[in-house]
Amino acid sequence: MFADRVAHLYRQSILGILLTLLVGVIVTAELWGPGFRQVTIMWWLVTIAIAAARFALYRAYQQRTDHDEGKWLRWMAIGALAAGVNWGIAGAVFFPTHSDDQQVFLAFMLAGLISGGVAVFSSVWWTYALYAAGIMLPLMYVLAAFGNRLFSELAVLVPIFYVANVAVAYRLDKVFSSGFRAKEDYARIAHEQDAMNAQIEEQLQELLNARREVEASGRKLTLFAERAPIAVLEFDANATVLEMNPASENLFGFTIGELIGRSGLQMLFPVDEFGVNDSWWRDFVSGVKPATLDRLRCVRRDGLEIMCSFTFTPLVNDEGDVISVIAQGRDITQELEAERLKKEFTSTLSHELRTPLTSIIGSLQLINSGVMGDLDKDVEDLTVIAERNGQRLLDLINDLLDIEKIESGKFELYPEIVSLDSLVRDTLVLNKSFADRFNVRFSLAEQLPPVSVEADPKRLVQVVTNLLSNSAKFSPEGGTVDVTLELAGDHVRVGVHDRGPGIPEAFRSRIFSRFAQADSTATRQKGGTGLGLAICKRLIELMHGNIGFEDRPGGGTTFFFELPAVTEDARAKVSHQGAV
Amino acid sequence: MASKSLERVCYVEDDEDIQRIVRMSLERVGKMTVEIVGDPMVAVDAIIGFKPDLVMLDWMMPGMDGPTLFRKLKENSETKDLPVVFITAKATPTELAELRSLGALGAISKPFAPKDLPDQLRALWNTQSQ
Repeated sequence: MFADRVAHLYRQSILGILLTLLVGVIVTAELWGPGFRQVTIMWWLVTIAIAAARFALYRAYQQRTDHDEGKWLRWMAIGALAAGVNWGIAGAVFFPTHSDDQQVFLAFMLAGLISGGVAVFSSVWWTYALYAAGIMLPLMYVLAAFGNRLFSELAVLVPIFYVANVAVAYRLDKVFSSGFRAKEDYARIAHEQDAMNAQIEEQLQELLNARREVEASGRKLTLFAERAPIAVLEFDANATVLEMNPASENLFGFTIGELIGRSGLQMLFPVDEFGVNDSWWRDFVSGVKPATLDRLRCVRRDGLEIMCSFTFTPLVNDEGDVISVIAQGRDITQELEAERLKKEFTSTLSHELRTPLTSIIGSLQLINSGVMGDLDKDVEDLTVIAERNGQRLLDLINDLLDIEKIESGKFELYPEIVSLDSLVRDTLVLNKSFADRFNVRFSLAEQLPPVSVEADPKRLVQVVTNLLSNSAKFSPEGGTVDVTLELAGDHVRVGVHDRGPGIPEAFRSRIFSRFAQADSTATRQKGGTGLGLAICKRLIELMHGNIGFEDRPGGGTTFFFELPAVTEDARAKVSHQGAV
Repeated sequence: MASKSLERVCYVEDDEDIQRIVRMSLERVGKMTVEIVGDPMVAVDAIIGFKPDLVMLDWMMPGMDGPTLFRKLKENSETKDLPVVFITAKATPTELAELRSLGALGAISKPFAPKDLPDQLRALWNTQSQ
């Protein structure tokens, strides 16, 4: 605002300079007379010089690079004072020496210049006060000193006239100030309005974008529902069908037109104590939680019952009321049938293959045990081969059934608190005859730390047996397999250490995979199904342990498994429960 | 009962081959007297007639399965105290635990080793005396 007032002052100063020059010409012409030429010319030159200086100041202001408005105002004030004093001196010098007419002219002219200054300087009132004082003081002095009563009275009137003009300039200054303030306020408001407009524009754009996104995702959702292979239905809170997709038509055999507006409970689900019925629906809607029914009986249009898997998801408004329910489901009848057939097949395999094998192996075992009398050497060789291979076939069947059960997640463990030291000792005894076949000895420390684990004993024996038989198979003839049992923190580790050829580098990464055998000739020579370690790994993991192997210092391999040890407290608790 | 040794065993099994193997195993290796019953439907009467020390039951049989037959034996006053051992390929530990709680002596898993079968039976027989 201050800068605006200074700028206005400079703009008006051009008017002031032009008026000065114009009035200066008139004054020079009026006062031009013999005896005063030199003084008049001198004054006129000073007037031009001051006008030129003020013009130079105006140019400098226009080309300024700083914004020190105070400085520019001070220079303008000096210019105003110089201009005023120049006129004042003209009055003081020319007034006493000229005729009465010319004196009237001078008085009139000076009064006019004082009044006219208001228009030029009033945007900063005190510059006008300086300018007018520059004119008035010399004039007042000359008038007072003239000795004429009229002039003395005029000398008294001049300062009154001055004060009145300064007062006007002061008022004008205030008007200017408020004008500039209003202008500034307007500019600020306009700027704010622009910013607000830009913001509104931006928000509008965002809203438009959001709307487009919502529309796009709505189209996407519709497309998903339309093309989805699973049935998607929308119900209201009373189970009335609101919408459904083509997959629902296929599933239930109803067209969209036949179902929309009808009760899903009556049309799609049989009256069933356990299925989706009135009371289930009421509980579901009041519970406001998604529900999944893995085996839900549904009825098709043709009356056929199918088994489905359905998820019901309630959509809730801000008040917590269910506004609709989205149901997604599919027909699992065939899946269940396939599962049943698979189970039946597994069971058949288990029973129908094992029963004849029981007879084959049993017969050969009785013959080979010698209770049926001595056999010819060649015949005995053959019956031994037959028994061994019968056993191999049985092992394979058992392993395949185990793997199948583990991988389909149907494997059941029967964990109990087991004394691991006893279990390891007993398993060694059970496998002694196997080691004898390979002329290998199992060696176990006399004293084992008493330690219990929570495990399925039958399956743990299976794991230990597998590790023992592997190490016996791959030990050099006459060799020893060391079996260790160590407590390490809260785990117990069982190690089976052989002096075999070690695990080939290329085989290490897949040793626990199915049908993993380093060398297929080993299968023929040593037996084994290639499933043993894969089963061991899964069994140990199911019992919350881990299994692995490492090179044995000095040659050979160590296979080990670790299980969480059961603390004495847990052991005592279990035995206490057992006692009760 | 503690002092008596195991001599007479009755085995209910539908598979004729296994019948013969078990008979040979128990007679030749175990030196026991064996009665084989092929039809579970007539088993209760046959057992009453034979008066065995111990009864062995196959688990899966046509007409009546082992557990059902076992329950029938438990319902009959003449057979309810007979020790029963199951020969099974499929019983889960849970099922076996349930049968033990009903009084079964134990189970021998199938396929069994005929040369070890008499010892396994005697081991189970001896657990009764404790």
